[in-house]
Amino acid sequence: MVTTEEEAVRAVPEADVTPRGRQLRTATTIARDYGMHLALVALIVIFAIASPDFRTVENLLNILNQVAVVGIVSVGMTFVILTAGIDLSVGSLLALTSLSSGVFAATQTSTTGTVLLALAVPLIVGLVGGMINGAIVASRLATPLIVTLGTLTAFRGMAVQYRVNPIHNLQDWYREIGSGRTAGIPNGIYIFIAIILVASLVLNRTRFGREVYAVGGNEQASRAAGINVARVKFAVYAISGLCVAVAAIINTSRIGAAQAIAGQGLELQAIAAVVIGGASLFGGRGKISNTVIGTLILGVLFNGLVLLNVSSPIQNIIIGALVVAAVSLDGFFRRRSA
Amino acid sequence: MGSGQKGEGMTDLPPAPPDGRAPSGVLYPGGPEGHQPSSVLIDQTAPLITLRDVRMQFPGVLALAGVSLDVARGEVLALVGENGAGKSTLVSILAGLVSGYDGEVLLDGSPITAGSAKESIALVQQELSLVPEFSVAENIMLGQLPHGRLPGLYDRRKMDAEAQRVLDILGVDLPLRRPVRRLSPAQSQIVEIAKGLARQPRLLILDEPTSSLTTVEAEKLFSAISALRECGVAVLYISHKLDEVLAIADRVAVLRDGRKVTEGPSVEWTEERLIRAMVGRDLSQFYRRTPHTPGNVVLEVKALRAPGRFEDVSFVLREGEVVGMAGLVGAGRTEVAEAIFGLSPARDGEILLNGAPVRVKSPRTAIAHGMALVTEDRRQSGIVGSMATSRNVSLASLVAFSRGQLLRRSVESAEISRVASRVNLARHTLDRAIGTLSGGNQQKAVIAKWLMRTPKVLILDEPTRGIDVGAKSEIYRLVDELTAAGMAVLLISSEMPEILGMSDRVLVMRKGRLVAEFSREDATEESLMAAASDASTRNGERSW
Repeated sequence: MVTTEEEAVRAVPEADVTPRGRQLRTATTIARDYGMHLALVALIVIFAIASPDFRTVENLLNILNQVAVVGIVSVGMTFVILTAGIDLSVGSLLALTSLSSGVFAATQTSTTGTVLLALAVPLIVGLVGGMINGAIVASRLATPLIVTLGTLTAFRGMAVQYRVNPIHNLQDWYREIGSGRTAGIPNGIYIFIAIILVASLVLNRTRFGREVYAVGGNEQASRAAGINVARVKFAVYAISGLCVAVAAIINTSRIGAAQAIAGQGLELQAIAAVVIGGASLFGGRGKISNTVIGTLILGVLFNGLVLLNVSSPIQNIIIGALVVAAVSLDGFFRRRSA
Repeated sequence: MGSGQKGEGMTDLPPAPPDGRAPSGVLYPGGPEGHQPSSVLIDQTAPLITLRDVRMQFPGVLALAGVSLDVARGEVLALVGENGAGKSTLVSILAGLVSGYDGEVLLDGSPITAGSAKESIALVQQELSLVPEFSVAENIMLGQLPHGRLPGLYDRRKMDAEAQRVLDILGVDLPLRRPVRRLSPAQSQIVEIAKGLARQPRLLILDEPTSSLTTVEAEKLFSAISALRECGVAVLYISHKLDEVLAIADRVAVLRDGRKVTEGPSVEWTEERLIRAMVGRDLSQFYRRTPHTPGNVVLEVKALRAPGRFEDVSFVLREGEVVGMAGLVGAGRTEVAEAIFGLSPARDGEILLNGAPVRVKSPRTAIAHGMALVTEDRRQSGIVGSMATSRNVSLASLVAFSRGQLLRRSVESAEISRVASRVNLARHTLDRAIGTLSGGNQQKAVIAKWLMRTPKVLILDEPTRGIDVGAKSEIYRLVDELTAAGMAVLLISSEMPEILGMSDRVLVMRKGRLVAEFSREDATEESLMAAASDASTRNGERSW
């Protein structure tokens, strides 16, 4: 993976401090920067010991395939959160893009042209949906929370209005995207990895990526440095919408149906993944690789709990507590390094 | 209660309530010592406050490097020193706002605690800490509102009466029920001082209390301070205005680079000697200004106007010239800079660069036209604190080293190294988050950010605020070098010596208008102050 943006940026004090202070600070720094890696490893070890079903190659591939959908949405969400924004509309937009994909992938509308449309139309719908969010947020007329809370409702309404009944009987080639395998590995994983690489490249190696960090870190200073803040904000929501569309195609293909109720609660899972990955909701701090770790932690946790026959309400309690703990830790470290 | 009544409680002490506070409604009966139950046990000739070898280390800065100082009861001690000398830190320690220092701070001979500091010491700072929506009386009495008849309610009439009593001591008249947001900055400052006084402290710390006051207002404050001294209240007075300091203080202590360099009775000092002690060298060496003839006009501002912020501002800036802009806080200097730079554009007027009119709608256009602004508030609009210093430095020049969207990072880091060494920014600071650096290093990085673009016009708004002396002199050296190379600099500063030491010409703003221009030869501290402070209020026009 591309070298990461924040590797160099550590809250190291400028002058020497006492040895004890330095030790403490180093420990804090490690906990902050690698806490989630350790947590992931710990979870895997625990579940591997507790459940024989967990420690199979097939199950691990299964986990990766399952996290691909949430993971891709989380990557888009990372861009948004880096600018101190939030995108609550991803779940509803996923339903809308699913339907716009499914319509062209259903067997009864089978012509060669629809192959392209089943992929292109959802991407356009996702992009436009994200651009609507971005345009309103960039205009500064309403906060990201309110804007995307509104579009969360509106996009869902559009999806249901468009089609209440699920679209089943999707074409075979379409089913291959999400449930097929290449060289023994589910196709969704390849797409996920490709998205991760592109997103890392954009954040770390492009002017735009640098501007995303700057705008999230300090909007006023970014504007004073000549950065087009509105354009950056607009773009991150568009990116989020585009990621949602890609995730929607994989998801629709894998479950074999496009439905208006798809993606409910997806926004919370995506935000949770980003936050568990250590990104700050205040913006300016976070990276793609950490979001991926956050996604994996959630995926492993879900999978492991299911295999251990933990009931779904209990799962939710655990995941919820984890999110609060992750954000509190972020607050703790912020205070530390302040 | 004016100064004439202040002794009335001397023979007739009211019974002290258990918490040691005077009963409400009585301000300083017989001096603040009168209501201290333990005062009989304390040697009244011993100092009220004793500092012994106090050291304070902040990340990157040794703010106090071992300061020992006494404050006697009923004395006015002035604390002077440059920005970054350690005055604010010392004051914050006394007020119990910061902890983690080494050394001893004694109050009445016993180590000071957050509790005892709160009880006996009131700090009035520059930054206003008032609640804008609350009335004058509510703000003055905040934290000690008199209880009403029902629990949870407060007695408005009593509150007003007590607030009035405090204002009487200060000899000023303010509408008690008016919300503070509708007061002038000077009036707010008075409320701030009254609020400190209302707590009946034994030590009142005034940090730059006159920075936004007119001469008349300041005079009233001085007589109030004298009245307090009579009551046995000690006053720690911090100011950059050395004439004031010498007029009002009993003693003066000078801080420099976190050390107390000297102290003594104020009658033994002159302004010149104080400055030399503060700066530690001759001013002529501190401010670097190589004389040279200015070139063509680079920036011309014509009848710039933004209602409510400034009116009819016109001036020119020539190549190789430093033009100082003086004025009181709130005179509109920052607003003019922000308008020229496009942060909040003016409504009317013209801006010409090299003779051609330009429309500056945003900082982006201003930067593209070769302008740069080092903003007044570094943390708020100068730096992206969470980003590495190096990335802050390159932030305004990203286009210059990208091919399309792709950043060419080797070119970038070469450029960063070049400008970093130009401003003397140490290599090891580059990889750190800029928010963790000292103010001086942050400011150097901000200047480096603009140097990378080689601007034609550099606007510096309070460029040396809150930075250490070393960084300060480096910034002066840099300004001198840059102008020698033809850059035009607009220097906005509230520090008179800085304006006088660095400027080829000085513009003075007052209440949103340019009111005077001085050549380097004609500019003196007196002439600038006279132009900057409002003659009409000096004649007592303003209501209070």
